[in-house]
Amino acid sequence: MNKSQVALEFLATYAWAFIILATTISALYYFGVFDFSKYLPQDCTFPSQFKCADFSLKPAEIRMRLLNNIGEDVHVSSLQITNDAVPPISCTPPAEFDWAHGTEKDIVFTSCTGAGYIPDVRAELKVLMGYYAMNTPSHPVHLINGKINGKVLSS
Amino acid sequence: MEKSYQAKAQSSLEYLLVVALTFAIIVPTTYLFYNYSKESSQQITDSQITKLGRGIVDSAETMFYSGKGSKTTLDVNVPDNIASAVIIDGRELVFNVTTSSGSSEIVFFSSVNLTSSNCNVNVCSIQGLAPSGTKKVKVEVTSSNSVSVEVI
Repeated sequence: MNKSQVALEFLATYAWAFIILATTISALYYFGVFDFSKYLPQDCTFPSQFKCADFSLKPAEIRMRLLNNIGEDVHVSSLQITNDAVPPISCTPPAEFDWAHGTEKDIVFTSCTGAGYIPDVRAELKVLMGYYAMNTPSHPVHLINGKINGKVLSS
Repeated sequence: MEKSYQAKAQSSLEYLLVVALTFAIIVPTTYLFYNYSKESSQQITDSQITKLGRGIVDSAETMFYSGKGSKTTLDVNVPDNIASAVIIDGRELVFNVTTSSGSSEIVFFSSVNLTSSNCNVNVCSIQGLAPSGTKKVKVEVTSSNSVSVEVI
């Protein structure tokens, strides 16, 4: 009788401990303590030929400043932005433009909507840019991929 | 009896605390360093490709202006991520590269006409450059207006 009481009390004590531990961990998880990605620096990664100088993520607008470091004047024929969310982010891309060597351009995507793009939440976006060199006779289009990893501003 | 239980419980709790603290330090640190190293390796690949492309184009230009018959052999280090290398219109040296962001084309422009032995219309493929490793690239002025780039 005494032994079973001790066993029961032991179990009861540890069940409470387990419940408290589970509740604490759940609360920490809920408040994002285990979301380690927020400790990573916000960055914009492009190949060095189109170096990303700066970027900003606003609720409906994505803006990035790229440097044409390729050594030629180019014509940007397509720009696209997406992410891995379902449905993916959808933005209105800027129109085609000519881009002189050694100059910076602000590229602005507007009217951005879609899953995974929420104010105050970190977003990982993929940018696809198509361009051709204006001095190359057949104008072959080249594609480059870039990545933006940052927190969407609240306003 | 009571004392023995207390001692065991204390040592168990201390053990759990030490393990939990170790995990709390190791897991986030591993995650952060993994992400930093991923980004660094991408930058290293980018630098390696820039060195490779600029090296080939610069050698081609130097050989061209040295005159017909001039040639040189470059020892190059091709990084992992290059899928293929082609010359377009004789002036664009294009590397197809796979990175964590996706596939990209890294282009280098030459002021002299480049060619290779495997051409189809205006696109010449540089065979043998794609798999990673140390390669020897021969840059040779084959005619009065073009420089051949081959892996030997």
